Amino acid sequence: MKRLTSLPTLRVDVGRPVPFVYKNQTGRGFKGDTIATALYAAGVRIFSRSLKYHRPRGLFSLDGESSNTMMTVNGVPNVRTETTLLAEGAMIRDQNAIFTARNDLLGFMDRLDRFMPAGFYYETMHKPASLWPVAAKMVRKAAGLGRIAPDFRFSGACDEMYPAADLCVIGGGPAGMEAALAAADQGLRVILLEARPWLGGSFDYRERGSGEDAPLYRQAADLASRVSTRAAIRVFTRTAMVGGYSDNLVTAVTEGGPDDPFDYRYLEMRPRAVVVATGSRERPLIFENNERPGVMLPDCALRLARTYGILAGREAVFSVGHDLGLEAALDLSELGLPVRAVADVRTKGHDPALVRGLADRRIPFYPGWAAAAVEGKKGVKSVRLASCDGGQYRILTCDLLAAAAGHTPAVEPLSLFCGPLAYDGQTGYFLPRTYPAGVFAAGRIYGLEAPQNIRISGRVAGLDAAAFCGADCRGAADAHRNELAALPMGRPASKWVAFPGPWRKHFVDFDEDVTGKHIRQAVGRGFGVPELIKRFTAAGTGPGQGGISGHNLPLLVAAIKNPSRDRTDIHGTVPAPTTVRPPLRPVFLAAYAGSGREMVKRTPVHDAQAWEGAVFRRVGVWHRARYFSADLDVSEEVDNVRTNVGMLDASTLGCFRIFGPDALSALQRVYAGDMSKIKDGRVKYAAMCNHDGCVIDDGVVIRIGENDYMFTTSTGRAGETVEWIRYHTRFDNWDFHLVNQTDGTGVINLAGPRARDVLERVTDADVSNQAFSFGCWKDFSLSGGIPVRCLRLGFVGELSFELNIPASYMQAAWDMLRKAGSGFGLRPFGVEAQNILRLEKGHVILGQESEQRTNLLDLNMGFLFSRDKDIRPVGADALLQAEKDAGRLTLVGIRMTDSSCVPPDGSILVDDQVVDPVIGYVGTIRKSRALDAVVGMALVERAWTAEGTRLAVYDGGGEPSERHDATVVRMPFYDPEGIRMRM
Amino acid sequence: MFGAKHILPKGNPPLESAYDAVLIGGGLHNLATAWFLAKEHNMNRVAVLEKNYIGYGGAGRNTAIVRANQRTQKNIPLYKEALDLWPVLTRELDFNLMFYNCGNLNLLHSEAAVKAARTNIATAKFLGVESHLLDAAETAKRVPALNLSQKITHPIHGAMYHPPGGIVRHDAVVWGLAKGAAEKGVHIHQQTEALGIATKNGRVTGVKTPAGTIYTPRVLVSAGGYTAGLLYHMLKIKMPISVLTIQAMVTQPLKPLLDHVVSSGAYHVYANQTLKGEIATGAHMDPWPNYTTQTTAGYIKHQAEALVELMPCLAGVKFMRSWAGLADMTPDMAPIMDGNDPVEGVYMNCGWGYFGFKSCSATGRYMARFLATGKCPDRLKPFALARFKNHRLMGETAALVNYTPDN
Amino acid sequence: MSLLIHCPICGRRNGYEFRYGGEDKGAYPAGRSLTPEAWYEYVHANTCSAGVVAEWWCHRHGCGLWFTIFRDTRTNRQVLEHGGRS
Ligand SMILES: Cc1cc2nc3c(=O)[nH]c(=O)nc-3n(C[C@H](O)[C@H](O)[C@H](O)COP(=O)(O)OP(=O)(O)OC[C@H]3O[C@@H](n4cnc5c(N)ncnc54)[C@H](O)[C@@H]3O)c2cc1C
Ligand SMILES: [Zn+2]
Repeated sequence: MKRLTSLPTLRVDVGRPVPFVYKNQTGRGFKGDTIATALYAAGVRIFSRSLKYHRPRGLFSLDGESSNTMMTVNGVPNVRTETTLLAEGAMIRDQNAIFTARNDLLGFMDRLDRFMPAGFYYETMHKPASLWPVAAKMVRKAAGLGRIAPDFRFSGACDEMYPAADLCVIGGGPAGMEAALAAADQGLRVILLEARPWLGGSFDYRERGSGEDAPLYRQAADLASRVSTRAAIRVFTRTAMVGGYSDNLVTAVTEGGPDDPFDYRYLEMRPRAVVVATGSRERPLIFENNERPGVMLPDCALRLARTYGILAGREAVFSVGHDLGLEAALDLSELGLPVRAVADVRTKGHDPALVRGLADRRIPFYPGWAAAAVEGKKGVKSVRLASCDGGQYRILTCDLLAAAAGHTPAVEPLSLFCGPLAYDGQTGYFLPRTYPAGVFAAGRIYGLEAPQNIRISGRVAGLDAAAFCGADCRGAADAHRNELAALPMGRPASKWVAFPGPWRKHFVDFDEDVTGKHIRQAVGRGFGVPELIKRFTAAGTGPGQGGISGHNLPLLVAAIKNPSRDRTDIHGTVPAPTTVRPPLRPVFLAAYAGSGREMVKRTPVHDAQAWEGAVFRRVGVWHRARYFSADLDVSEEVDNVRTNVGMLDASTLGCFRIFGPDALSALQRVYAGDMSKIKDGRVKYAAMCNHDGCVIDDGVVIRIGENDYMFTTSTGRAGETVEWIRYHTRFDNWDFHLVNQTDGTGVINLAGPRARDVLERVTDADVSNQAFSFGCWKDFSLSGGIPVRCLRLGFVGELSFELNIPASYMQAAWDMLRKAGSGFGLRPFGVEAQNILRLEKGHVILGQESEQRTNLLDLNMGFLFSRDKDIRPVGADALLQAEKDAGRLTLVGIRMTDSSCVPPDGSILVDDQVVDPVIGYVGTIRKSRALDAVVGMALVERAWTAEGTRLAVYDGGGEPSERHDATVVRMPFYDPEGIRMRM
Repeated sequence: MFGAKHILPKGNPPLESAYDAVLIGGGLHNLATAWFLAKEHNMNRVAVLEKNYIGYGGAGRNTAIVRANQRTQKNIPLYKEALDLWPVLTRELDFNLMFYNCGNLNLLHSEAAVKAARTNIATAKFLGVESHLLDAAETAKRVPALNLSQKITHPIHGAMYHPPGGIVRHDAVVWGLAKGAAEKGVHIHQQTEALGIATKNGRVTGVKTPAGTIYTPRVLVSAGGYTAGLLYHMLKIKMPISVLTIQAMVTQPLKPLLDHVVSSGAYHVYANQTLKGEIATGAHMDPWPNYTTQTTAGYIKHQAEALVELMPCLAGVKFMRSWAGLADMTPDMAPIMDGNDPVEGVYMNCGWGYFGFKSCSATGRYMARFLATGKCPDRLKPFALARFKNHRLMGETAALVNYTPDN
Repeated sequence: MSLLIHCPICGRRNGYEFRYGGEDKGAYPAGRSLTPEAWYEYVHANTCSAGVVAEWWCHRHGCGLWFTIFRDTRTNRQVLEHGGRS
């Protein structure tokens, strides 16, 4: 097709061809084309097949309001070709058709609509019961547009941006641009979002406007150049707002252009004020076959010509209800499109200049008429126009029907801020009932049509926003407001609904193939409000999200419920439309995901351990060395700790300092035990409970000075400990300082019978058992002056030194110990080996042996609870109250009868003799080489806790009858007297 | 073939001055209770009061996942009964509830998660509910879109596979139960808000509505996320509940990609493909109480980040619509069903959080029995409110939950 | 929905910087030990009001302070007191 090349409004560069491939044939568009316009120019009329009826669908609008023109591009399904710029070499395929969209083998579905009334799934296909599972599989296959391969990988680059601004203007048309300029004049920092690649809105492709001196496109260009050169205004084109939330949180997505370093960019901002100037769209006209390829909105036909140089047909008929429709007909006729007739549902109130223009060009004009039907299977062959009273009709042949009932404001962005919409009888629009502080609107979204009015309303909104942000300009805003009020209002568009009838092929929603008949059926079944009709018929749930049906659905409902009323006067009975929800247009998950920044922490000796072959695992935010062996069988690591010496990186444990006059009080509040009993130089093991008495953390506390303590927490709790302690002391007004030293402190646990031998080689301090016995702590230096705080603990059950080392010295200390230990068989070990070692000692790991509901006493840790402290600790009441309850799960040690049988952690304990047969849960269970037995810890009901009780373990693998025998045994399993850790 | 039968009653039935039972809230649980009251107990002078339209609450907003692989023996049988009821209800209501038995895969991303899953699996199997542990390769075979890389934030270790679960069309359940109950004479009053509960000497006497007080000896408050607030404001009963907003969203419809319901605790997402082809996904809750039922910017982004890592092909798919509803969370992730305490004749059924869809059929049946007989069925006894005061949390969650400051 | 909270130290900040700390029920009841009922009332029972509630928040990713605010749970907006908006 030859393009119109000399229009001043053209946005394609006909000197720069862009090749593409469409269904294995090469074609060519131009720079500036969208995929849809390039295909249209290349003669493509059927872009897709519809979801349910497989009806042919074509270009209807240009801003992606429906799925009509969604295609698969470069393997990505459901690309909105109307808004996606044509890129060199694009591989384009149509969707949802067997064979091709043009010749779809499923085209016969269209005749089956009788068998698919609204909600027919609900009332059919369940009899007989065996039918539905089969039918559901077929439904699944038939449903869905586009296919994505499981191994598809998104190749585009995605970026994120969080700009700051005082004002965000949404919509770069004349109103938006005026608002931006007016606000910038008042000193505001402004961000202007425009979905199209250029500014200008509806002025960009229009020439005339009654009473205007300069052509509208030139006014737009002037405004655009002023906006673009203002430093205070940042313009984001190709940037569609997708989300609006309370307190003016705005999100948007930019589609990268050829020169951008990204393909998609997610934007999020919280300006102080927002101006929504998103204009209006045309409201689709409902008639028979109103979505045949060849039927499109007048604005679409006009933009095809003026912006892309494409005449949409050979012969056109127009059916409109608004002056812009008349303007489009006249303009297109002047550009060379033969217009056979123009119908307008309005009987009066047309712009006389436009009517005169039509007459001058001898175009037959039918006021009070509208399109009633279209003939033609794969395209428009003829149109049936009828008078709105139904008395007369005329059939005209043509291949293009430009049809719209009037306007519908692009009110979705506004509704996200303002909440529910209500019908406005004046404009026939759905508009917000209230505006939150700092949210303003301008332009055609309000029903303004005259160019002058649109521009002034923008200024008013910009100044209102500036005044809201504190600028001294209320007077100026009011002056413009008065000026606007003095101007004549625009001529209202029609509120026409549709000719009476069953509306069998009158499409309300294209995406879901919902017809007026379906709406009627839904109302008839008792679904009275659009929100329910949406669910029952699926109208508005497709990719266009109500872009086509949003306005018409409530009008149809009102018309159906009030059949006697004049169809243009249902005001007062129109229900609210369905709720608008983000995203306002479909957004790639890739674009939302952006660069993705999941955080992970490494300990100071991560690399050293990696070098030794550590396999890491994630523990909370940390990576910890899990094992150093060839696989999960860590028996050599375990044995080495039991016989020689091992070292474990425990840097992830929480490490805190608390000091100040009330430090002790704070500790007394959060720890169950009595912290006033801590002896100098001694380590106190302690547990924290929540109000339920359930154990949330354990660790050790030491007193390092007057009113000065250090304590440790588990890895998982470290992040929350400060706020936990502050929460539970919030009413006390206590004076203490609390510092989280976790990240600054590394920890090496040197454990095993040879641990002292190793340590003595790297320090001059006396670490003999006499000078430094079990349960004590001591500060000293390693050679080279590395300061350490050393605690003698026994988590793994051997002689061990827990060395707390400033993180910056960790690597040096690690290397030093490693070298010193070479003669003693020192090897690093990981958390997997530690798990076995501590299990043999009967030491619990919270969350592994305990559940959410497990309290301190359930774990036999009553020795950590002091009942008579002055300060009642968190959880004390619950512990005291639950103590008398015999129905609680209690921790016991178990040993498997068969020492070759190792049931997995998480197995359950069962007893069929009782009402509730699941009597317990296995926390951890392992084969112990030191004990030559399989031992574990489990929570069981009180009645099964006595030593020697036989238990049946069910591991969930085989049948429930397959159990393993176990016995309750005393803990600790290993070295019950604790001699080894006291060596 | 398609008679123009009503599904929802057109307009409201007359509001009578007295009913045998008044159920506050037109969600799943009350509609099910009304159906069973009428069907199994011949009690049909029953009114359901709904402030908006039926299905306005969680009933119309949930993602319709059903399963019975809960953690403890007190919960599993209830959910199993609920699961078994879908085909029965489909037949009895003569309404296609569209149970799609695709099975659920619970992804496991750590040894701790595998351990926790083992407990669920063992308990489920022990109680006759099918459930298996899959390794990573078996998991990927069922869901080829999954990312098996070790380099992701939470590498996949395997999955808990629960074949009997799937999805049921939530709207169908609402409408089917309403249709069935109404056909049996239950009065469903839409746009009718319960304003208060009248009591005398510790007994309920009626329910206040804008149209006056309805006299009744029994009131069931089961208004989804609104229940706890209503109980406090009407009767000053304080519940151990936090009402949070839970969000969900769908992508554009696609040809079949996901054959199971897939969920991941570590990534905080679940996803399944609806019959229409949309990937329905959700899980996130902002951890503070609110009744806005609005979505957040942070969440849709989080959801995309998680899904793109978990199933990278979804990067090329588009989110289309998001929404939110209320989740009334209890400290132990198990519901509260109780009655006649502290007010004779007042019953409550709440705390269903984000799992009150799957249970509604069985719960409705037991609550009906409770109301009709005045005696709490054994199955419901463990769910009494007093368990909190008695320090008997149910153990439905192994891990600490994180929406109260108390852990 | 979005949430903005006014921290007494840091001013108006994004709600995700904060941690919710429950309805404001005052200090833990004094006295030696509570009855199960009183314990339940303090630890677990909430009013779940749809309206303005007093509640605790912690500026977790900020200054770390615990403080109380009034918030309307119907709009998710902080308000000055049982009444006006902040
Ligand atoms: C996003 C989301 C996803 C979910 N996904 C799942 C899932 O996959 N699986 C699952 O099992 N569960 C899921 N749930 C949970 C489930 O939806 C709820 O637990 C369940 O719907 C709540 O019970 P209901 O249907 O009886 O109550 P609701 O449907 O919440 O009913 C409450 C009703 O009470 C009405 N009401 C309130 N106040 C009054 C009054 N004063 N007078 C009269 N009427 C009143 C409301 O208008 C509302 O209609 C999800 C929930 C949400 C929000
Ligand atoms: Zn702060």
